[in-house]
Amino acid sequence: MALLTRRFTMATTAALAVSAALPSRAPAQIGVQCERNAPEVYAITNARIVPVSGAVIERGTIVIRNGVITAVGASAAVPADARSIDGAGLTVYPGFIDAYGSLGIPSAAAPAAGGGRGAGAPTTAPAGPQLSTAPNSLHPAGQQPEILAVDLLKADAEAMAGPESAGLTAALTAPSSGIFMGRSAVINLAGATTQEMLIKSPVAMHIGFSAARGGGYPNSLMGVFAALRQMLLDAQHYGELDAAYAKNPRGMRRPENDPSLAALQPVLARQMPVIMLASTQREIERALDLAKEFNIRPIIAGGGEAYLVADRLKAEGVPVLLSVNFPKRPTNAAPDADPEPLRVLRERAEAPKNPAKLAQAGVKFAFESGGISNWADFNTNIASAVTSGLTADQALRALTITPAELFGVSDRLGTIEVGKIANLTISRGDVFAGGRVTKLFIDGKPVEARAPVTANAPSMAAGTWTLTVTLDIGEKPITVALIEEGDRIRGTLQGALGSAQISDGSVSAAGELRFTVSITLPSATEEATFAGQINGNAVRGTVQIVGHPPGSFVGTRPAAEGAQGQQGGRRRPPQR
Amino acid sequence: MKISLLAACALAVPATIVAQQATPSRAMTARPAAAPTLIKNATVLTVTKGRFENTDILIQNGKIAQIGKNLTAPAGAQVIDATGKYVMPGIIDPHSHSMSDAVNEGSLSVTSMVRIADVLNPTAINIYRELAGGVTTINVLHGSANTIGGQNATVKLKYGRPVQEMLFAGAPPGIKFALGENVTQKNRSNVVIPGQPSPPRRYPTSRMGQEEVLRDAFTRARDYRTGWEEYRAKVAKGEKALVAPRRDLELEPLVEVMEGKRLVHAHSYRSDEMLMLLNLAKEFGFKVATLQHGLDGYKIASEIAQAGTGLSSFADDWSYKIEAYDAIPYNVAILLRHGVVATINSDSDERARRLNIDAAKLVRYGGLTDDEALKTITYNGALQLGVADKVGSLEVGKDADLAIWSGDPLSVYSSAETTFIEGEIYFDKKRDLDMREKMAKERAALEQAERGPRPTRATQIPNEDDK
Amino acid sequence: MTHLFKRATLGVSLVMLAAGAALPVRAQLGTFNPRPGPQGTYAIRNARIVTGTGADIANGTVIISGGKIVGVGANAAIPAGAQTIDGTGLSVYPGMIDGGTTLGLNEIPQGANATVDVNETGSFNPNVQAFYGINPHSAHVGVTRVVGVTTVVSRPTGGIISGQATLLNLAGDTPPQMAIAPKLAMVIELPRSGFAGRGFGAFLAEQGGNTADATRARQRQVDSLKQMLRDADAYGKAFDAYAKDKALPRPEHDVVLASLVPALRGEMPVIFPADAAADIRSAVTFAEEMHLKPIIIGGRDAATVAPFLKQHNVPVILTGVMDLPSREDDPYDANYSVPAKLLQAGVKFAISQGANSADSRSLPYVAGMAAANGLPKDEALKSVTLYPAQIFGVADKLGTIEVGKMANIVVTTGDMLEARTDTKFLFIDGRPIPLGTKHTELNGMFKDRP
Repeated sequence: MALLTRRFTMATTAALAVSAALPSRAPAQIGVQCERNAPEVYAITNARIVPVSGAVIERGTIVIRNGVITAVGASAAVPADARSIDGAGLTVYPGFIDAYGSLGIPSAAAPAAGGGRGAGAPTTAPAGPQLSTAPNSLHPAGQQPEILAVDLLKADAEAMAGPESAGLTAALTAPSSGIFMGRSAVINLAGATTQEMLIKSPVAMHIGFSAARGGGYPNSLMGVFAALRQMLLDAQHYGELDAAYAKNPRGMRRPENDPSLAALQPVLARQMPVIMLASTQREIERALDLAKEFNIRPIIAGGGEAYLVADRLKAEGVPVLLSVNFPKRPTNAAPDADPEPLRVLRERAEAPKNPAKLAQAGVKFAFESGGISNWADFNTNIASAVTSGLTADQALRALTITPAELFGVSDRLGTIEVGKIANLTISRGDVFAGGRVTKLFIDGKPVEARAPVTANAPSMAAGTWTLTVTLDIGEKPITVALIEEGDRIRGTLQGALGSAQISDGSVSAAGELRFTVSITLPSATEEATFAGQINGNAVRGTVQIVGHPPGSFVGTRPAAEGAQGQQGGRRRPPQR
Repeated sequence: MKISLLAACALAVPATIVAQQATPSRAMTARPAAAPTLIKNATVLTVTKGRFENTDILIQNGKIAQIGKNLTAPAGAQVIDATGKYVMPGIIDPHSHSMSDAVNEGSLSVTSMVRIADVLNPTAINIYRELAGGVTTINVLHGSANTIGGQNATVKLKYGRPVQEMLFAGAPPGIKFALGENVTQKNRSNVVIPGQPSPPRRYPTSRMGQEEVLRDAFTRARDYRTGWEEYRAKVAKGEKALVAPRRDLELEPLVEVMEGKRLVHAHSYRSDEMLMLLNLAKEFGFKVATLQHGLDGYKIASEIAQAGTGLSSFADDWSYKIEAYDAIPYNVAILLRHGVVATINSDSDERARRLNIDAAKLVRYGGLTDDEALKTITYNGALQLGVADKVGSLEVGKDADLAIWSGDPLSVYSSAETTFIEGEIYFDKKRDLDMREKMAKERAALEQAERGPRPTRATQIPNEDDK
Repeated sequence: MTHLFKRATLGVSLVMLAAGAALPVRAQLGTFNPRPGPQGTYAIRNARIVTGTGADIANGTVIISGGKIVGVGANAAIPAGAQTIDGTGLSVYPGMIDGGTTLGLNEIPQGANATVDVNETGSFNPNVQAFYGINPHSAHVGVTRVVGVTTVVSRPTGGIISGQATLLNLAGDTPPQMAIAPKLAMVIELPRSGFAGRGFGAFLAEQGGNTADATRARQRQVDSLKQMLRDADAYGKAFDAYAKDKALPRPEHDVVLASLVPALRGEMPVIFPADAAADIRSAVTFAEEMHLKPIIIGGRDAATVAPFLKQHNVPVILTGVMDLPSREDDPYDANYSVPAKLLQAGVKFAISQGANSADSRSLPYVAGMAAANGLPKDEALKSVTLYPAQIFGVADKLGTIEVGKMANIVVTTGDMLEARTDTKFLFIDGRPIPLGTKHTELNGMFKDRP
């Protein structure tokens, strides 16, 4: 008996040590009290305080008790029971909020059983991002708006090290894949359990425009729009039927309960905003058009070319969650890679200027991490936006109060004010001018900002690839330059198949790559679907073209683009 | 019935909110549209009303205001001396996949709910290259992966303008159908890549099944229409507490087809499959607007003429697959002689740039007159797309969509020098040269700004000598 | 008097042939290429003669006899018994040559694999000859020749050593009847720099290699190619030595190595497919190192390495003049203008329509497009007549209308490169060619169908 208990205890300990190694909690042990009753009272003194809600306090004190800010000011008294932290030389900001990402949601969330009309039968598992599924949904994976991010959350302190190093204390988190991706939550980035992390759920509906992989409907960007429209129409119809039945069920066939369509009702009623992933001008315009068509409340996420749509965004009152994952210059060029188009050079040059332009146009925006692969870039890129015309105050608001307002949590987050959740970002020096984040408070508990384990996590697909495509008409050398935004990719194809923009593609955490692009063969312009597996700096796969036998492709990129000397590209931060 | 509302919504974007636009590298700076242009002393190929030597064309407010000799330029007009040059209408390409971020939604056999207009990319460089070939209007079609494909978009190549301005205002909506090998996938599944699973088979895999898919879809669409009619009748009778039927985006376009409000452009090669479709259309009470490719159309020219259906073909492309093996370059000429409105198309961003040469081939092979040949790439295309009141020929009152050519456009030695759409220049050879210089400078500056010049090559190419 | 009579006879027989009467051969897939007439004596008079040498004759006569051109001139004497053609209003051109086709090897590329013989399996196939894959009854033969393309190079593709290209006239019932040079040139596709392609490249992708690894893998492929060429060189020398001195041990035969010996001795040129500048340079440098006689085919970036090509005296067969520019920022005429640039740089070049053999008949319009983009018209003509003949070392037989050359003659209604121009008479190897094709046959069958 004793033996059995001990073994059980050990196993439990091991499991929890990995998943819940958080400062104020000891690993659970059977028969011992789990919770420590450590006092949670802190005072940061002598610090420069940027409360956002008011003027900067050059030298002041913040008092935190049981997770909440209880005093702020130049002369706030330090309670006798507080642990005092000397903030001399430090600047304290409201805790930064990542306005969009999939923090806390493991990228390979195992699909739940069932899903899809007539479910039970395992559909031929399509390669690609693992789509989360809701139990007993009548709709296929990728079109299940009822999914809740909070149900997919995993408390994993290690995964938070990266964002914490950038000063992030809270985030809007949403499932990373799909068309109707599900509903997001605002979470704190620390907490022993997912419920402890949770601040608000649901916050917004999320629409991605990534087609399904593996051939099911919709497998194209066109189909995605059609599927979105049909589902929104069906939701309208569902609402009408439901209302009619509620009024008088007698004699009327009971409407089928459909959790997906039910989840869309607050969207149609404009009670819940819809966050739509869109980077380029045309993606943003398409998203806005769709929102207008169905009279829903859009928020654009990504927004790389939002400055080109600034007037319309302003006129329609649409906020932007602006990705700070600015496109990066390829570190290396393969010997025969085709030169980057001017368009791509311009995009890189414009990225840091985008926030200032939005600010100038009066467009409300918040910063989001955008699937950034290297967390050190987060504040560096915001700093470059500041040197490109954004004021430090505008930058700070985009990290704090603006996202809090957009997500309806400004009563709890976004400023340093008495009564708010004690989320603080503390830096040595101005964080937008080369300062370094040293410490955080999340939910009133101190967290050390550590450099992430992987200083420079590789991007899975980004970079300049030289490919040889073998088709029925022979071998064609091409260059494919890809930009990675979470699990979406876009880019440029050049070479022996003509030049075209790639605007509909995706890559999974496991390196499964898929994109469709127009190519020009001797006889016709055709759409080619490339599907392959990235393995480090190499890729191979198949090419499908309507009317042609399947082709294949194989290619490489220079080592420095991704993982240098890394075995298989399977390491990728789990965010988005 | 709300059927056409949705399509209207998607197209009608208020112009006022389109304030900014990413200007693609080669976009011409648009001058004020109001400024008139006088093209002097050209050989004018009206296409419909004959050709006129030493003739002027006056463009005002985006329209052809006058065609005649010794016209006077209004104040502020741009005057272009076109002595020795030719002016012809902008070329119309009735079958294109240019500027589309997606071509096929091939997952299902019926994807009438998808729309090309949702995924147009106004910055695609190939449309500029097509302008350089004198093309001004294209019909962007869904691909041929499935029996009933998506909704097409008729587009003017206003490169550098927002996509909403490029969509051809007033052009009737359409839809792509497809028959034959591409649909049955017989031509792509016969090669198995070792280690790769063969793709799953999608119904139909035979021409027999294609007829069945069409019949099934239109039968469902007919019932759908009836359902709405019954509903509306009840509403009209004053019945209360009714819930409208579910809107079905797959069937709505097919109802529009049956009501004659949506053009059918049907990819087809073999005469038997074309005939099948024409007969099925008759049964369901609609007309097929065009057979696309229709390479064997000449075998049933009378039947096509009788159905009132147009046909858009290649000039001489053939033998690239089984169903193209009986294709002949006489096809279009035979069809025209039988009274079919026939055109030449490109289906290719490459070929679209030289449709003038393809038209010239019909003079050789089918004995067409020059004007008849020119019509196959201009006026007939306008007829097929339902926009002949606005484009396709040089006539007073029509849109000033035209190009100045260095010589007779049916000569291989000629090329488009300046291409206008609605009176604005979207391609000009001289301006293009200036732009090359500007782009080189901009590139140099941007590369300089990005931490110095291009990165050094990762590896040196063996065997390369520096000379 | 005899002239008129003879002309009528010839006219009738041509018409009959064109209509497909009395022709027994109906070959694979229902194709139909009417059989050439006899190598008699023919005179084309009162015609404009575009000799292709630069000296046109406004009104003259061309005399053909025994397969050869025996007279050209304003006043060339017509031999007794010659069948004459009144060329009033017509133009006489040398037959065009496309130096880069797969004609006869490649009937229906999509969905009919069994009609495609362009590519042998394996990487090193120097002993494979296009000549043995040619289908003389391909429907492409007829439709190509009636536009005036009388002669083509048909070449194998793929692998590293693809095999041997052949030079064919587009007339004859058998490959030997068609062939001018059965074994014309070796085709070597040097592995491309930077691109992980064949063999090792695919392996690399599985191992997760990168571009640098791909470049090394390419080097290994090039090394094994060099090894094979060196082996072949030694093989040739061993047989030479043995021929002189039978006391030496008898060398063993090897068909693969033996097939490379002519290329190594400079007796057979080597066609290198290459488009990118670096690949063109690599091919030339490689050829010089291995003492091969290179011809570049493809040549998309040839203009950017024109001084290099000129310096090394390497000719180029351009196959991509009509291609879309390959890079987004390339000007619209990037490929159209390559011939003009090569001419200016003094690089020898020919224009080819490329490997899509059903479309080989578009060759004249490709040359025309080059002319619309800076190439002088007479140079455009030479780039599809004399220049390919020179590049393949057959300019003594082909490429112009000159006495002594093979009588490949096209009689047209106008400029041969114009799409509106029609062919009225055609001679290949001095034989009159009926102008019927699969296409005219189907046209005849259906054009008046009620």
